Amino acid sequence: MATQEKITVYNLADLKNTTDDAIPNYLTSLSFTPSHLLTDVRLALGFSAFALSAACFAWDYNFGFESTKTYTAFAVALYTILNGLLTFWIFYVEKGTIYQGTSPKGDKIRISTETKKNVPVYHMTIEVKDGKTGERKTLKISRSFTEWFDAAGRFVAAPLQTVLAQGVGVIGRVDTKRANAAKVEGGEAGPSAVYTPEMLAMLSGEGVSVVGSAAETATGTEAAEAKKGGKRRKN
Amino acid sequence: MLSALGNPRQAAAQLMNFGLILSTAFMMWKGLSVISDSPSPIVVVLSGSMEPAFQRGDLLLLWNRNLFTETSVGEVVVYNVRDKDIPIVHRVISKFGTGFVIPRQWWLFMGIYNNDSDDTKLYAPGQNYLVREDIIGRSVVGYMPFVGYVTIMLSEHPWMKTVMLGIMGLVVVLQRE
Repeated sequence: MATQEKITVYNLADLKNTTDDAIPNYLTSLSFTPSHLLTDVRLALGFSAFALSAACFAWDYNFGFESTKTYTAFAVALYTILNGLLTFWIFYVEKGTIYQGTSPKGDKIRISTETKKNVPVYHMTIEVKDGKTGERKTLKISRSFTEWFDAAGRFVAAPLQTVLAQGVGVIGRVDTKRANAAKVEGGEAGPSAVYTPEMLAMLSGEGVSVVGSAAETATGTEAAEAKKGGKRRKN
Repeated sequence: MLSALGNPRQAAAQLMNFGLILSTAFMMWKGLSVISDSPSPIVVVLSGSMEPAFQRGDLLLLWNRNLFTETSVGEVVVYNVRDKDIPIVHRVISKFGTGFVIPRQWWLFMGIYNNDSDDTKLYAPGQNYLVREDIIGRSVVGYMPFVGYVTIMLSEHPWMKTVMLGIMGLVVVLQRE
C-alpha cells in the first residue's frame, strides 16, 4: 500500500470514488462474480444517444438544414427520449450502485453508496439475496471515511474490508479470516472504529503488512495497481 | 483521478459523459432549430449596422415561421446571402412579388445610420433580390446584449476555441462528478 496515491481528505468526491473503486476490487479478490448489467445498459443508452446525434450532425453537415429537417425533428425527439431513459436509469434503477454480483457461494449482492453534502460519512445500502432460500434482505451501513483513510489521505483497505466482512453475512462467509480477525482485534473498540488513527497510519506506512491477506493486495485503488503493473507488490 | 484507465467500463462511461455533453448541446441547438424552423435560431450581431437597435455582440433569438402573417416591409429579418454563411440582420424596405430588397438600418434615426443605400451590393453576383428561403429568421423574438461578444472573440481568435475545448475536455476527464 505504500506506493499508493494520496487523495485530498477534504475532497468528499475523492473519498467516495476511491472507496467505491476499492469495494469491487475487494469482492473480486474474494472470487465474487460481478454483473455489469446496470453499467452496460447505461453505456448502451448513452452511446446510442451519442451515435444518433453524431448521425444528425453528419446529415446536417452534408445536406443542409432545409432538406433534412424532418429527420432532424425525429432525431431530436428520439434523443430526448433516450436521454430521459438514461436519466431515469441512473436515478431510479442504478441509484448509486457500485457493485452487483454473485458470491462464490451463490448469494447475490448489490451495493449502492451515497454521501451527504459536506458530511464525511459513507452510506452503504446492501441488498442481499440468499442463493439457497431466495430470501431478500436490505442492510444499511453508515461509516465515517476516517475509518479507512489515514490523516494523509492514504486509503487503507483492511478496515473497510473488515466493516464489510463483519456487517454483511454474504461477504463474511467468504472472507472468514477478515470477519473473525475483526472480532479479536475490535474486541475493545466497540461497534465503530475498529482501527485507531495510529493503526491506520501504520497500515498505510512503508513496507508494513499487518494483515497480509490476499484480499488486501488486490484491493488498492486501480490507479495504484496500474502504476505498479498489476498485483506485484514492492516489498 | 485517472483511475478510469484501468477499467474499460469506467473509461467508456467517462468518454460517454464527455460525448453526451457535446451531443446534448448540439441536440438542444437542433431542437431550437426545428421549433423555430430556422437553421440558425440564435445569431450574434457582428456589425454595428443596426445600431442603435442592435449592437455588436448582441445575441438574437430568431423565429422563422409564418404562421398567420406574411413577412412584410418594415420587419427586421436575418438572412443569408447565397453561398455565404454569414447571417445579416437588416430591415425589409421593399417587397415585390415574392422577393425582398433589404436595406441597412431603417430605424427611428432615418438617414443617420447606414441607410444611404440598399443591400443589393452585399448580395452574391447575379442575385438581385432575396426570396423567402434566404431568410433564416423572420423576426427577432428576444435578444441578450453583449453575450455574443464571446463568440466574436472566439471567431476572431481561433486559438481560443482550441484552448477552451481542451480545458473542457480535461475537466471532464479529470473530474468524476
